[in-house]
Amino acid sequence: MPETETTNFGTISFARESVFEFPHGLPGFEERRKFLPVQNPLTAPILFLQSLDEPSLCFTTLPIWVVDPHYRLHVTEQDLEILGFPADRQPRIGDEVLCLAVLAIRKTGTTANLLAPVVVNLKTYQAVQAVSPETGYSHQHPLFSQEATAC
Amino acid sequence: MLIMSRRQGETILIGEDIEIVIAHIGRSRVKVGIRAPRQMLVVAQEIKLVGEENRAAAQAPSAPVLQAILAQLLPGPHTFSGRSDEGSVRQDAEDKN
Repeated sequence: MPETETTNFGTISFARESVFEFPHGLPGFEERRKFLPVQNPLTAPILFLQSLDEPSLCFTTLPIWVVDPHYRLHVTEQDLEILGFPADRQPRIGDEVLCLAVLAIRKTGTTANLLAPVVVNLKTYQAVQAVSPETGYSHQHPLFSQEATAC
Repeated sequence: MLIMSRRQGETILIGEDIEIVIAHIGRSRVKVGIRAPRQMLVVAQEIKLVGEENRAAAQAPSAPVLQAILAQLLPGPHTFSGRSDEGSVRQDAEDKN
């Protein structure tokens, strides 16, 4: 089983089949194509996306419906093509795709990027960060209401 | 900001090298063709925003910060959908191994 060095989790071994492949990387990280989903039972449902190319690069994500139970996915035709889905309909969350909101944790509070969810084809593990401006979702959606924010 | 009025098929020139064509005007959106030197980065503004947001999000938080997030998350009403989504990942990973 291959192993990888990580800043956050030390050395971890993984199955090659479990790697998410982003053919175009993510905005700001276009050269980072392979990410390993890492889950710690103690911090579920948080899912970490650990870069296999850069040990210190790790995104913290939540399943999108944890952030917004009414979230409606809108993937552009280009992104559907990358994911390997037909262009005439949206893939189903939980069934055909995993849909994750990337969290940004700042002193002022934690926000989730609903403008650009990470979408993963659950059969092939091909993935994109699907920027969908037409939906009107925010790239800094507050995770908690102001008074409840602890960090 | 300079505002110009253009019809479908008309072009705007910026400097010597950049050409912007109004390719199609729909009900609520326009398609714009851009011809620019290869080394010039052309992206929708949202892509830049997401890139900045990703850079801000690119490090895993410390354990206490994670626990603070979870403490607020778990008693909430949305736990169930999170678990079901997570379950489908795990199951899929097992299927493949």
